[in-house]
Amino acid sequence: MVTSHDRVDFIVIGSGASGAAATWKLAQGGFKVLCLEQGPWVDHSTHPTNKANWEELSRTKWHYHPNVRKGPSDYYVNDDDSDVKVLMYNALGGSTIHWTGHVPRFHPSDFRVKTLDGVADDWPISYWDLEKFYDENDELMGCSGIHGDPANPDRSPRQMAPVPLGHDGERVARAFDRLGWHWWPSDSHINSEPYRGRPACNNCGPLGYGCSLKAKAMTDVTYLPEAMEHGAEVRANATVYNIATGADGRVTGVNYYDADGGEHWQPANAVIVGCNGIGTPRMLLHAASDSHPTGLANSSGLVGKNLMFHVYAGATGIFPKGEPTYRGPLANIIMSQEFYETDLSRGFVRGYTFQMGRGMGPASTAVGGVSWGSNHHREFDERFGNVNGLGVIGEDLPLESNRVTLDPEIRDRWGIPAPRVHYKLDENSKRMLAHGVKQARTALLEAGAVRVFENQHNVNAGWHLMGTARMGDNPKRSVVDGYGQAHDADNLFIVDGSVFVTGAGVNPTPTIQAIALRTADYIIRERTDLKS
Amino acid sequence: MPTAEGQLTNSDRRNMKVVMDRLVPPVDDLPGAGSMGLLDEVERMAEEHDRYRVSLVRFLDALSMDMSVEAEGGFLALEGEQQDEALKEIESSIAKEFANVLEVVYLAYYSRPEVHRRIGWRSGPLQPLGFTLPPFDESILDTVRKREPFWRQAPD
Repeated sequence: MVTSHDRVDFIVIGSGASGAAATWKLAQGGFKVLCLEQGPWVDHSTHPTNKANWEELSRTKWHYHPNVRKGPSDYYVNDDDSDVKVLMYNALGGSTIHWTGHVPRFHPSDFRVKTLDGVADDWPISYWDLEKFYDENDELMGCSGIHGDPANPDRSPRQMAPVPLGHDGERVARAFDRLGWHWWPSDSHINSEPYRGRPACNNCGPLGYGCSLKAKAMTDVTYLPEAMEHGAEVRANATVYNIATGADGRVTGVNYYDADGGEHWQPANAVIVGCNGIGTPRMLLHAASDSHPTGLANSSGLVGKNLMFHVYAGATGIFPKGEPTYRGPLANIIMSQEFYETDLSRGFVRGYTFQMGRGMGPASTAVGGVSWGSNHHREFDERFGNVNGLGVIGEDLPLESNRVTLDPEIRDRWGIPAPRVHYKLDENSKRMLAHGVKQARTALLEAGAVRVFENQHNVNAGWHLMGTARMGDNPKRSVVDGYGQAHDADNLFIVDGSVFVTGAGVNPTPTIQAIALRTADYIIRERTDLKS
Repeated sequence: MPTAEGQLTNSDRRNMKVVMDRLVPPVDDLPGAGSMGLLDEVERMAEEHDRYRVSLVRFLDALSMDMSVEAEGGFLALEGEQQDEALKEIESSIAKEFANVLEVVYLAYYSRPEVHRRIGWRSGPLQPLGFTLPPFDESILDTVRKREPFWRQAPD
């Protein structure tokens, strides 16, 4: 038996970075909004940092990879044919439960890579179109940082002072100064002081595994409560298995399962999809119908194609014993964009950001490369509390061959096909990473490292999922327009990283959220036809 | 060799205890990971998590079948360095499973309060204490602030 519900103006599928932002903005704009999330509300007191066995949890029940974590709301991702493993979290708050809250913005040049560098495509929007929405997002999430960064257009004063750099952050910053290289304190959605009812961070470290303190901005403690105050309804444990369309191709509502397997029909005037760069194409391809035979909104054939991650590599320096380097947020310290913009003399197009990282807890330090046997304790003692890393986060150019399809065999517990990821690192990325690793070594040695280890390619780094339902003005070359509205259905919108045309060389979340807010702003201003 | 159900036999347990001592040997006044009595913890984690259970079973299978340990008395009868050689053989033949076994042994060992005391780590949850860092000092920006903006202009 199918339970039918009253019609709403908007269904937002997904409650992570983008879905929560869109839900809040539309509710504030007077729309009747229902946010459906396949996962549950997470009890923050259960986050690993509240547990003595937090390192075991971080490698098992709180693992970044859904196939290892195997949570009740996780779906299997077949990434056997991918050079990068896919990481995500499924719950209220989505992957903001797992993120580190690092929020650099795209550069103006990132939106014009075709014009400037002759590669990929330009976006149909510019940095300046997004600027006020970046600011609005920072206000809601709370940004610790400081304006005046010479590598970026100046931005409004941050809500809070930067997260403390620690002696290790200052050590690396001074090394960049001596080399004449740019660096700047990371903009972070982590409270350096109490903000909007959430406390300041107390520097416990591994914020990638939740934040029991709620000092890190996760959308289940930022956007969603405020959205609900504005009248939005949030329904947890609701797994959407179909976006229904009428004969005219327009969206009519969604079908979903509740936690007990009960089937529901939820009609709506419009649907917003915010399920990330893997989940969204999976959803659209699975929603094929008579009016959308190759998948919803897929007349271009581009749904699922042009998958981009960020390519990651890095170097780790071992420093003489001093203040332990495991104190403070793991990766929200400083960043450098000395090699961000294209310089073809380096052997590649586009560029990368350095992101500094800290040491980890004892078991994680050991697992992170300390050998077993007679040298174990010497190597461990040398590394534990004495390492800092420089991660290279590089721009990954879109290729249609890098894509998400539906797995012909593997299905989740609801019978929905698993996403299958096909992804190969291209030559430009390899050259970029090699350059970055070499420069990272230089910087760490300058900072006083006595030894440096290199990681030429981090396979387990698929945090950023982009490009699989790209935006553009040409319906033959894109899935949605510049406002995230599907070319094939004017009451279907996509707001997650799927809509990215290119990926830039920085973490994508603030850009994803700015895009979601801009889409919602457009709907409020221009699509009053979707309000009951 | 573990049973068909994946249960460790007494022989597996004796082998595993010695293996753990080779992986994480004694240091200062601490015994190796096996002699510390951590096998129960390793078995618990293997029971709770498929990845560890499957790897542990394959590892012990490999250990019992390794040519170098087929001598009378098996792995336990080998000298320490020969045991390390046998383990290296297995590590190269089933690298992923070996890495998972090593991971679970490290997780067990580095969760022990006596180990934490030796390495200077505070046992227990990270919260609510966290760590104290001095607040951000803006003077660190003095040099980089002298640089002119260098972001690349782009057509609107």
